[in-house]
Amino acid sequence: MEDRIGVFVCECGPNIGATIDVASIIEEVKGIEGVVIAKPHKLLCSKDGLEFLKEEIKANNLNRIVAAACTPKQYEQLFMRACESVGLNPYLFQMTNIREQCAWVTENNEEATEKAKSMVIAAINRVKKQEPLEKRAIETSPDVLVIGAGVAGLEATLTLAQKHRRVYLLEKAPCIGGIGAMLEEVYQTMECAPCMLAPELQEVLQRDNIEPMTYSELEDVVGSFGNFTVKIRKKARYVDEEACIGCNACFEPCPVDVPNSYNAGLSQRKAIYLPYAGALPNIPLIDREHCKRFAGEDCTLCEQSCAFGAIKYDDEDEIIEKKAGAVILAVGATMIELGSLEKYGYGKYDNVYTALELERLNASNGPTGGKILLKDGSKPKSIAFIYCVGREKIGYCSGICCMYSVKLANHMMDKLPGVSIYSLYSDLCLPKKESQRIYDRIMDRGIAFLRSNETERVSSNGNKLVIHYGTGSATRKLEVDMVVLSPAMVPNPDIVKFSELFDIPLDDMGFFTEEHALMKPFATPLEGIYIAGCCQGPKDIGDSVSQGSAAAGKILSRLIPGEKLELETKVASIDEEKCSGCSVCIALCPFSAISRDVEKEVSAVDETLCRGCGTCVAACPSGAATARHFTSEQIFEEIKGVLK
Amino acid sequence: MNDKPKIVGFLCNWCSYEGADRAGEARLKYPANLRTVRVMCSGRVEPEFVIQAFREGASGVLILGCHPGDCHYKAGNYKAKRRIDLLRNMLDQFGIERERVRLDWVAASEGEKFAKVANEMAETIDRLGPLKL
Repeated sequence: MEDRIGVFVCECGPNIGATIDVASIIEEVKGIEGVVIAKPHKLLCSKDGLEFLKEEIKANNLNRIVAAACTPKQYEQLFMRACESVGLNPYLFQMTNIREQCAWVTENNEEATEKAKSMVIAAINRVKKQEPLEKRAIETSPDVLVIGAGVAGLEATLTLAQKHRRVYLLEKAPCIGGIGAMLEEVYQTMECAPCMLAPELQEVLQRDNIEPMTYSELEDVVGSFGNFTVKIRKKARYVDEEACIGCNACFEPCPVDVPNSYNAGLSQRKAIYLPYAGALPNIPLIDREHCKRFAGEDCTLCEQSCAFGAIKYDDEDEIIEKKAGAVILAVGATMIELGSLEKYGYGKYDNVYTALELERLNASNGPTGGKILLKDGSKPKSIAFIYCVGREKIGYCSGICCMYSVKLANHMMDKLPGVSIYSLYSDLCLPKKESQRIYDRIMDRGIAFLRSNETERVSSNGNKLVIHYGTGSATRKLEVDMVVLSPAMVPNPDIVKFSELFDIPLDDMGFFTEEHALMKPFATPLEGIYIAGCCQGPKDIGDSVSQGSAAAGKILSRLIPGEKLELETKVASIDEEKCSGCSVCIALCPFSAISRDVEKEVSAVDETLCRGCGTCVAACPSGAATARHFTSEQIFEEIKGVLK
Repeated sequence: MNDKPKIVGFLCNWCSYEGADRAGEARLKYPANLRTVRVMCSGRVEPEFVIQAFREGASGVLILGCHPGDCHYKAGNYKAKRRIDLLRNMLDQFGIERERVRLDWVAASEGEKFAKVANEMAETIDRLGPLKL
């Protein structure tokens, strides 16, 4: 079809009109091949201006439009919509910025006019090469896979589960709730964690459109935003989830005793067990590694004790395939391995605990029923908390240890009247709005804060633990009954597996890299994969919940049940005829949007992932890659024009 | 009429193009021989764009992107840096002064920096004179 170009030059009142000789631009471009009309307007973005534009398009049967006006950042979309409203493909519109980048920055009016002319010519050259682009939309699955049933994953799950949307909540542990559910009381409200979380946990287990999968792990994932297919390994529990009513009568007869890792090894459990009292779902599992039957003995004591026939020795791992439009990774974090920090005496001296172990001692569903006891069964008369354990090694502040340490110290004062509490800290980090008041309160209660700057070394005099801290002549000694370490938070070792499965980079601290630390802390560089909670970086319960909700909200706004997913229009494409299969583009793409078609031996762009930066286009040695709406040909024409 | 040697400026859509708009809003002045072309990312700038600009009569080429670490597309600006550094080495061999190509970073808020870079580039090209191929 023959070009019928309309050129419209906006005077923007005096903003352009007073500097640039608009009439001479009109004269200059009128004769250019393909230009059917060229007209000025006082204010093209006004209601009148837009009507004028639409009328001219219709009256002159224009098929390409150039607007010389302000920055496209302001009104490009408005003009494109105006074109669309009269049946012109919006990508056949080109705008050139003769206000911010010409009239306003040029001293001399003649030079400004000259420059504006070349800019308009460049836009005319370019628009001739532009192609109509269609908005693309794909069918998607509205369902979501949430990995990790800690507070972040739970909140995301509850936010997402709605009519026409199923949420698969995957958890590798046998129970949901994560670390939060194992605490007694929480900072900063000081309320009971099980009471706070129980309604959420129960809702997750009971809502129709939520499918919790505990004791399950992700095996594989393929596809992209809108259409992932995931493979999940549901591990054999050896207890029939349907038949079991959760009476726990099977525990007692089991002859095996094993330290319970969910109670930090401070109590024993059976080979058939629940992680801790009140763990949900209330369905026990058999620990195959320790069960006598699986070691070849003919033990059926648990089976005999079950009135409901729920014990299933022949249970097997099951591979389940699910489709999901998006994924939220909420795989949490853990504490730094203390074996590498010998100076604190952890594992060497009986009464050196981690803060999480103290949490379990303090918990009413914990190994001592909530009693704070030393290993010999007596109550401690003095406790020292050591903050910042491992901070120096990992090189970042975990941000939550001061808060929970202060909380635990407060509870120790409640539970152990007359106890002496010392806090050895380096820098106090107490950022929440309640923190100052909590700190003042515990100072009033007589907790001693001693600045030790990570110089602590723990030894024993046979009777008490001795902490040496300070340097040189300022070295001090402190004798206590119990030492509690507040270790730095580090990524869960599993994070590496997820990073590889989803192709999401880890940062230099080992956490998931967010798309933008401030603006998109819940998103990853990969469309459709979101992150929440401590796998993005250490955070407290409140921040984890917020992030879970934010990630879920992002999905709610994009994956709408019954609606197609609209994709970016200006994406790259690769001509497979021209592609030599060198794969240079694959390594360069920041969004993993290009993959290799193994059969055809060429690269292929996944248009759901491509964001249109054009880096692959610039790098392609065979000219096979094209950036839609920013093709090399279009840019070349523009270059030619601006140099006129 | 102004016949000063011309400069083509490739500006990334997210930072530098906005930076140029900020310069305009602040009515900062720079020579009219700088002509801008918008690209989505500095990583989109092919060496051919630079060569083409010279071929079409430019005496200088400016490529502006987001500051390192700020790229809207994560790392396009690093790719631009690698590419442009290589191109500048090659220009030496063609007898084209490497100062005729400048890569710099201008953030969306940096109107002043944009005007400063534009003026410096104009001075450089004035000093070198028109490019004769």
